[in-house]
Amino acid sequence: MPEGKYCNKKPIETPEEVNFLLSDTSGNTYYEEMKSLDVDSDLMWATIQKTMKSRLKTWLEICAHCGMCADSCFIYLVNKKDPKQVPAYKIQSTLGEIIKKKGKVDNAFMRHAMEVAWSQCTCCNRCGTYCPHGIDTGIMFGYLRGLLYQQGFVPWEMKIGAGMHRAFRAQMDVTNEDFIETFEWMVEEYEDEYPGLTVPVDVENADILYTVNAREVKHYPEDLAEAAILFHVAGENWTVPTEGWEQTSLAMFAGDWAACKMQVESVYDAMERLKPKRMIGTECGHAHRATVIEGPYWAGREDGLPPVESIHYVEWLAEALREGKLKIDPSKRIKEPVTIQDSCNYIRNQGLKNATREIVSHIVEPGYFIEMSPNKEHNYCCGGGGGFNGIGFFRKQRNQALITKRDQILKTGAKLVLAPCHNCWDAIRDLEEEFEIGIRWSFLKPLVIKMLDLPDHMKPEE
Amino acid sequence: MFKKILFATSATPASDHAARVAFNIARGYDAHLDIFHVLGVPSRGYSQVVVDVKTKERVDVDDEYMSWVKEEVNTYYSKYLENGLKFDINVTVGFPAREILRQAKDTNPDLILLGGTTGDEDESVYKKSVASTTLQKVAKSAKCPVLIVNRPAASFWGGLSNITFGTDFSKSSDKAFDFTIKVAKALDCEVNVFHALDITSVSTGKILSQDDIEQKIREAFRMIRAKYEPALKELKNYSMDVWEGIPYIEIVKYARDNHSDLIVMAHHSKKAKQEDAILGSNVEQVIVRAGCPVISVNR
Repeated sequence: MPEGKYCNKKPIETPEEVNFLLSDTSGNTYYEEMKSLDVDSDLMWATIQKTMKSRLKTWLEICAHCGMCADSCFIYLVNKKDPKQVPAYKIQSTLGEIIKKKGKVDNAFMRHAMEVAWSQCTCCNRCGTYCPHGIDTGIMFGYLRGLLYQQGFVPWEMKIGAGMHRAFRAQMDVTNEDFIETFEWMVEEYEDEYPGLTVPVDVENADILYTVNAREVKHYPEDLAEAAILFHVAGENWTVPTEGWEQTSLAMFAGDWAACKMQVESVYDAMERLKPKRMIGTECGHAHRATVIEGPYWAGREDGLPPVESIHYVEWLAEALREGKLKIDPSKRIKEPVTIQDSCNYIRNQGLKNATREIVSHIVEPGYFIEMSPNKEHNYCCGGGGGFNGIGFFRKQRNQALITKRDQILKTGAKLVLAPCHNCWDAIRDLEEEFEIGIRWSFLKPLVIKMLDLPDHMKPEE
Repeated sequence: MFKKILFATSATPASDHAARVAFNIARGYDAHLDIFHVLGVPSRGYSQVVVDVKTKERVDVDDEYMSWVKEEVNTYYSKYLENGLKFDINVTVGFPAREILRQAKDTNPDLILLGGTTGDEDESVYKKSVASTTLQKVAKSAKCPVLIVNRPAASFWGGLSNITFGTDFSKSSDKAFDFTIKVAKALDCEVNVFHALDITSVSTGKILSQDDIEQKIREAFRMIRAKYEPALKELKNYSMDVWEGIPYIEIVKYARDNHSDLIVMAHHSKKAKQEDAILGSNVEQVIVRAGCPVISVNR
């Protein structure tokens, strides 16, 4: 059977198709069908010739097999240094083989490649910083995922996630109406405490255009209120768009390049429509990577930049604290051992390590902050990046991968972990559920709100 | 009085005493009952996995599972659902407090009814995933009064004849008072307005002399008269009292002495720090201890 009912090469385009695939509980039939899915070798080879540029070709060619990347990979370390987990081996035995065989690989090979691409690499890019040649296996795996997606060899949740972006322009079934309605609802809930709190919708020429992660709308709408409160207290002129508010991209994790482009263009359209001075996204790592770092290339923007200056939430927060727009009551700072999780996507990949540490200097009583080891651009992935968190099929492997972060946190002795990234936050939540090491974890927004020194005119009456 | 009631339940024995009250009120006032069950909390990022509240197992939620849970809830309450009770059963996935509030926003009930804390809180699936308790969050943000039945002793609902209204003279206490008067008029019951003077050294910072205490009691009495007596005069029976002590204990004692069927108090939407203190030490403590249902009013 070439194309399955659930598992096939056709992307998901509509809410009905999303629901249809979701109805296959756990993707059981989906993975069963995958076993007989045909590989379209001609299509794959044609795609490779069109899309594989000199950088990747060179990387595959010049790898000296020196093994320097081995110890840089937390998945290798946490799997008893299995040689099959060495990054160079992982990519050479998958993408390398496909190239060597000019795309003429079989179904079993493709399913194996899927397992390697989604359960043995989180695209954290740490190996790239240790390779003497600068070869970044994470980037190559991102590319391989694209080839696998095109052929239908993609984990069930990833296919759904990418489909959500196509059908809703959001990673979950959240419509534009849901987004605005939920935001307004949350603001209403908090307006007694913060008189004058509003959510400005579709305001042109605002200083800040704020974009979010659809999960906030769906499950943690307090996060929206918290963002509104902090912008309000800081006196910012901000707005949210009725369309193009979703910053994340499960399509990027899935390797659905076309959906990546659709998603990021919806955000860029909002920027062009509303002409804000800057765009700020929520506390999410991959969303920043997708919209700010990689997105411009997906959208074919010549300058490699989004239409307006786009910064991460931690950059804005650091700035607001530095400039005194937000004032912290020193007596309310964190006074317990606390550590921070450096998100690969904006710390290692964009160098924002100083922004988060500047925030820490404002909100943590001196002497209580403990760095993980290693940290900053050398930090390990949370264990659930690159889509790993969401994939039921590879749950066992993901739980194994959490051990690195668990031990790093345990070593610090901290009971509170700052996790300004949705993916990291989830992975740390899951590792606590899995191993029960007695920690708490938090985004920055709720912590900062508790510590604010509010100007008198912003306090509620009474 | 109550036309639409949202009854949020775990559909386990922990909610049994609340269920008794919910079904009694619904019957007594011919109200529509929305039996609402949050079956599990999302887990694993954007995966489809949730941890089921009742079985504590990780499950993949799909339509089939949802309707199965709905059927379970129906079976659990089957003996109450006979004889033309107007109800529907809704189940969903999410963080309980948020989903209860979302349901309230969509359906606009006159009253939200919650069961109390369960004995094995640490084991509870809900507890693990929420920062503060469901009860705290719902009481804080709900737009309608929230009735909480915590102890089995509080689950008797034989109609209302006597309400204790506990006040701290705040703005939200005014709202709670308005609600109290409305209920009292509709159901023709007695209202006891009560203020507890907090003499614990934690809050006063010192040990008060008896003269100070008596002075403060007189002041509180004057406040009660000025603030509430005009409206109280429209009722057949009312009383006013000020006692000193630990506020939540005094309220519980007072309600017991007066054979109150219901305690009404304000929930406060003050800043986080005070909120923990006030809610934690007063409304929530009253809820935990009272021998009758407690209604928290915020807006």
